[in-house]
This record gives sequence, C-alpha cells and structure tokens, in this order.
Amino acid sequence: MSDNRFKLHWITAIIEVLKTLKEMILPLLVLIFANGLKDLGTGKWYIDYASFIIFGVLLIVFFVTGIIKWKRFEYWFEEDELRIEYGLFVKKKRYIPFDRIQSLDYTEGILHRPLKLVKVKVETAGSSSVKKSEAELTAITKDAAKRIEMEIAEAKNRRKAIPVEEGELAEELHIEEMQEKSVFTLSAKDLLILATTSGGIGVILSGAAIFLSQFSEMIPFEWMYEEVSGFIKYGFMIVAIVVFLGFVAVWGLSVAMTFFSYYSFSVALDGQDIVITRGLLEKKRMTVPLNRVQSVRIVENPLRQLFGYAAVVIDSAGGGGAEGAKINLFPLVKKSNVNSSLKEIFPDLILIEPTNKLPARGKHFYYRIDFLWMAPVIGALIYFFFPYGLLSLLIIPAIILFGLWQHHSAAYEIARNQLTMRFRGVSLQTAFLMKKRIQSMEMKQNYFHKRKNVATLAASIKSGIGIFRAHVFHMEESEADRILSWYERSGEDKGQQE
Amino acid sequence: MRAQPVNRISEKGLRVWRLYGMIQTALLLLVAIGAGVLAYFFEGPWWIYAIATVAVLLFAYLFIYLFPKVRWMRWRYEVRESEIELQHGLFIVKRTLIPMVRVQHVDTAQGPILRKYNLAEITISTAATNHTIPALVTEEADELRGRISVLARVAVDDV
Repeated sequence: MSDNRFKLHWITAIIEVLKTLKEMILPLLVLIFANGLKDLGTGKWYIDYASFIIFGVLLIVFFVTGIIKWKRFEYWFEEDELRIEYGLFVKKKRYIPFDRIQSLDYTEGILHRPLKLVKVKVETAGSSSVKKSEAELTAITKDAAKRIEMEIAEAKNRRKAIPVEEGELAEELHIEEMQEKSVFTLSAKDLLILATTSGGIGVILSGAAIFLSQFSEMIPFEWMYEEVSGFIKYGFMIVAIVVFLGFVAVWGLSVAMTFFSYYSFSVALDGQDIVITRGLLEKKRMTVPLNRVQSVRIVENPLRQLFGYAAVVIDSAGGGGAEGAKINLFPLVKKSNVNSSLKEIFPDLILIEPTNKLPARGKHFYYRIDFLWMAPVIGALIYFFFPYGLLSLLIIPAIILFGLWQHHSAAYEIARNQLTMRFRGVSLQTAFLMKKRIQSMEMKQNYFHKRKNVATLAASIKSGIGIFRAHVFHMEESEADRILSWYERSGEDKGQQE
Repeated sequence: MRAQPVNRISEKGLRVWRLYGMIQTALLLLVAIGAGVLAYFFEGPWWIYAIATVAVLLFAYLFIYLFPKVRWMRWRYEVRESEIELQHGLFIVKRTLIPMVRVQHVDTAQGPILRKYNLAEITISTAATNHTIPALVTEEADELRGRISVLARVAVDDV
C-alpha cells in the first residue's frame, strides 16, 4: 500500500474546458449571432464587440476553472479503498472500498490516444445515479490504470488469504490467472452490414419518400387550375426531394456513427468478467461481471431477420450510465452462430427454441384494441379526403396481419430454472430469464381475456437501476398459471393456501 | 385455476376511496357550475346544462360508487413464507408474485386522509419494481411490514 497521492494527466484540464464549451456552445452561438455580426456603430469599440469580449472572458474563465479542477483532483489508495479528493469551491472526498468496485471501464478519446492515456470509470454494484458512474478519472496513463487494477487485485487476494474459505480460495485464484479468451469479434463485412442496416428505418422512410414523389404524378391535378396545379406539382417534387435527401443524410450520418463506434468490436472472457472493446475514434473497454448479468436477449429486427442476422443484448444490474443497463453483447451475428458463441459465455444457459405456442383463441386480442383508434382516424380521413381517403381502409388488413404476425411469433418455454419468452413488437425478441433473476412476475387479465381463458404474463428484470419487462401477451390462462406456479418458491406452501 | 390470495384490504379503504371520489366529483361539479353560469350569461343552448348534469352524475356514480367497490372487491393479498401474492385491478386484473428473496425493503406510509381512518399503505420494493397495498389498518400494516422484513431476511436464494 502506498500513500502516494496521484494526479490526473494535465490533458484533463483541456478535456474539462472542451466539455464545458460543448455544453455552452448553443448559448455562445446565440450570443455571437444575435449581437456580434450586427454593426451597432455606437463608436465605442467595447460596446460593438461586447459579445466577443464576453465570449473571450468566458473562455478564459473556463480555462482557469479547468486547470483548477485538474489541480484539485487527487486519488490515492489507502486501507483497501480508492480515495478521491476533488472539487473547485467545496472540497469533496469520496472513498470507494475495493470490494465494492465491480469493474473499471476504459475509454480512449481522440485526445487520449496520442498521449497513451485512458479515461477510467469506476463502476460499483449500486450506483446512485443513472448518469454518472461512481467515480471518473478523466485522464491517466495506461500504467497508472494498470496500477489501480493491480492494487485492487492485490487487496482482494490479501483479503481472501486471511479468512480461509475452504476450496474457494484455490479456485478463485486460479480464475484470476486465466487469460482473456476472445469469444466474439465483429468481422469487417458484418460491421458494414451493421452500419448500413442500423439506419433501417431511414432506408424505409427514404423509400417511402421516393414512392411519394412518384405518387404526386398520379394525383389528377388537371382538375385544378393549370397554374396552381403546376405550382403544387413543382412544390410537391421539391418537398419530396428535400425530404428524401434529408433522410439520406441522416441515414449516412447514422451509418458513419455506427461504423466508428463499433469498429473492431470484440468480446472476450476474462475470468468472471465479460470484456467488451470497441471504437475507432474513441476506444472503449467495458467490463461486465458475469454475475451481474440479469437477462440475455436475442433481438431480430425484421430487416436483419430476413438475412438471417440477429443481435444479442444483455441487461446488467447496477453500474452507472445508460450503458450499464442494456449492453450490446453481439451487435450483429449470424443467427446460426448465436448459440455457439453464447454457450461459451453462459454455459448454464439453455438455448433451446421456445416451442409452446399460443392458442388461436387469443389471436384477435392482438389487433382488436387497435380498431379503437383506427375507426375515428379512418373515418376522418375518408370524410376529409373523400375519394383518396378510402385508401386508409388499407390500415385494417395491415394491422390485422401485423397482429397475426405477433401472435404467430410469440412463444415460451420453461426448462429447469429458466424461462424463455419470445415476443414481437416490431423486432422479435427472445429473452432467456433465470428464475433467480426475475424480480417479480405478473399475470394480467381483462374481462374479455377471462371469457376466453387467456392472460398476459410479464416478468420484470432489473436492468441498470430501471426495469426491463418481458411479456407474452394473450397466452393460455392455465399455462400462465403454470408458469406462476413454477415461479413460486415453495410448492409445499400451496397446500396451506386454502 | 389458481386460488385467489386470501386476505382483503381494510373495509375502511373503501370509504377512503369513496372520499377521494367525492373530492374529484366536487371538483368536476365546480367546473360544471362554471360552464352552467357561462351558458346562462351567453344564452347557450339547453343541452349544455343537460350534458353538464349527466357528466357530473355519471362521474359521481362511477367514481364514488362503482369503481371503488369493484376495486375493493378485487384487492386481495397474501403473504406466505416464501412469496407475496397480490391481486388487484379495475379493468385489468393483475396478479403479482414477489418472492421473499427479491424483497429489498418494505415501507409504510400514511397521508392525512389515511391517518384519519387509521390506515396505512405498505410498499414492497424489489431491486426493480415497487408494489403497494393501498389500505391496511395501521397496526396490521406495521405487523405485516415487520413480518415481511423478517421473512425476507430468512429466505434463502434457491436456484
């Protein structure tokens, strides 16, 4: 144990300044454009250029606070705790026991890379806020990051050596010596497919825009005055083209962003942790302890399902940040490879396809409720756009088909201590839930359900500090009962119920 | 078919709900009177009065009489050694199972109206979800809170 106090790298000051600037960029722009470009001509230079002066002063203030923030930040190790002291006006101290540290996540931004630095996020089991991790070291050298890891590992070993837990000791030590074992990498081709299909909705929408621009020619404008017709036709085309280009731009942007953030994506197993690395401009390394994983889900959106691809998402408990909750384990993977890769990470998972389908009795529940909003909408469309409004009647078969599709997709299966639920919103999800990870289970029935003996079943899983709910809608009532009974801890209790 | 949970919530809970309904109806009545006064001064058609009256009466019937009654009839709970089972719901009947091992903490809370009737609501929290039993006699709620927290501590995580 060393009582040395460590500082962050000086680049921290610059990163802090940039961060503040990023948050301030809008007000600054408003300030400059509202005042700066206008020639007031008052003759007094300090009034003419007031906005620039304010801007300059702010910049200096940001810069100074950035430096002070960096100067004030200190961390050190003491009594098996990571201790941090920071704060501009109020000195804040935070002590995090090593035992509570679940993982250290590394990020290398553009500023970090040339200097061989990393940003370290310290994640604990129960982070108090969604946005922030327990502690963040904005920029330290890779060696320093290693030192933290070593310090934690050493302390954990020391602790283990004192209270002898029979058998466990040898086993766990062995685990820690294990090397990182690569489980999954995203190939260049898959990355490209991932990037291009990530904006799937964009593609569909731009397709719709093309269709619309064609459609404008079908509208019989001859009915109207020539000039007005010409204008509308012209305007319609312009709008359609602009909308189309807009979609293409947004889609292109999303492709680029996905490409950068998932570049060289790989998943490795390191003892009891899953280690995920990814990113081109900003390199990220995230550690998820296996025992924190709450559920494993296979998500297939229709476009990718068509080509036999799927994604695997895991929900993790605790940990700060949106990333702490829902993690893309395999962003894109051939459906045929999902099971073998998952098996390596979660050997206990029973990866069978759920075979129990839903009864035909429940079918109409999938679309009937939609008629409630459809009827007035269709009515209004027909009334206001008379002949063409009739086209809105097409919504009805579309909704029915969609409902039937959802009904057809849904399935469930109980195998030992695992519940598998498959359901479809638009994307098909197959959730594998361990009994011990389900926080609570709910069966819902309305009056019509009861008449048809169907019920909706929902299982709640902890995901970050929030919830993920897996549903099977409108299933056989007796089967829902059976699953609830399976979920009940003690069969013997049921005898005493009456 | 699963047996229903055995315990019901306090009968006074029904009265509290009726009271809530009356307060809501009173508010609606004020709005309706406002509309009526406006209609009178601007010489609105007769059916404005009719709609306002019917709306208030219907609201009163539903929120003071029918909904509390159905809700109260539906509300059942049962605390067993290894799980808590709840059943409630007006239009959609929900049955919830919360295993003892999942219970993180139990709270009781009491607003001014509940206190007047010597009632308390009890909230059971798991790591992800919250479940509230809305009206129990205070002593009963305290006793239940104690029992659940003991059971939750004793329960061993199986699986």
